[in-house]
Amino acid sequence: MFNIEFGENGEILCSGRLDAAQCATAEEFLDSVDGSSTLDFVNLEYISSAGLGILLKTQKRLVESGAGLKIINVNNHIHDVFRYSGFHSIFEIEAQ
Amino acid sequence: MQRKFTRSFDALGDIYQFAEDVFASGNVEDAVRFPIQLALEELYVNMVKYYPDNDNDILLDVSASDGKVTVTMTDFDVDPFDVSAPRNIDTDLPLDSRVPGGLGLHLVQQMVDNLEYKYHDRQSTVRFTKESG
Repeated sequence: MFNIEFGENGEILCSGRLDAAQCATAEEFLDSVDGSSTLDFVNLEYISSAGLGILLKTQKRLVESGAGLKIINVNNHIHDVFRYSGFHSIFEIEAQ
Repeated sequence: MQRKFTRSFDALGDIYQFAEDVFASGNVEDAVRFPIQLALEELYVNMVKYYPDNDNDILLDVSASDGKVTVTMTDFDVDPFDVSAPRNIDTDLPLDSRVPGGLGLHLVQQMVDNLEYKYHDRQSTVRFTKESG
């Protein structure tokens, strides 16, 4: 199960598992985001390459308009996925 | 433990649960569970994506012993595609040169051990292991 919604302070809260079966939900939500935003992964357990593709697509769109995504509270496993994908050089990422 | 799964992204939830059931019986650490589940998804999604109209189910065999997990995935009536071949992914590219996609097999190759591919009688068989430490 995966869920994505705005938090009380405007951050984007992601929870559950962002896999190939759930990435359409993430894509629909993130396509509606404008301006710099913070993704809070404190309750996100898992991400695969399908989820990475959605993050990359969103980051490219936002950076073109002078904005970008910051990703916070990343667990160790997702941190490894980001590291192997070279995402640390294209996103601002904070571990848990 | 062996089980066949329908060729659909919708099977992913059942695949995770199948793997978790094996993990529970084999004293498997969290550090092993995540990469195994990621590899299962990435390889399964590839099998579904490239042969969406193939009527054959995909066979998974997952076993765990002393914290080590071994997975064998078999896809029937398909052309060869060696998932263990180097991917030549440049993860240092700047954002404007990046294109979404293509990271799945790269991640599998980075995160599991002993990734092997065999092809015989139009059957693709992928085998990999993962243990802690």
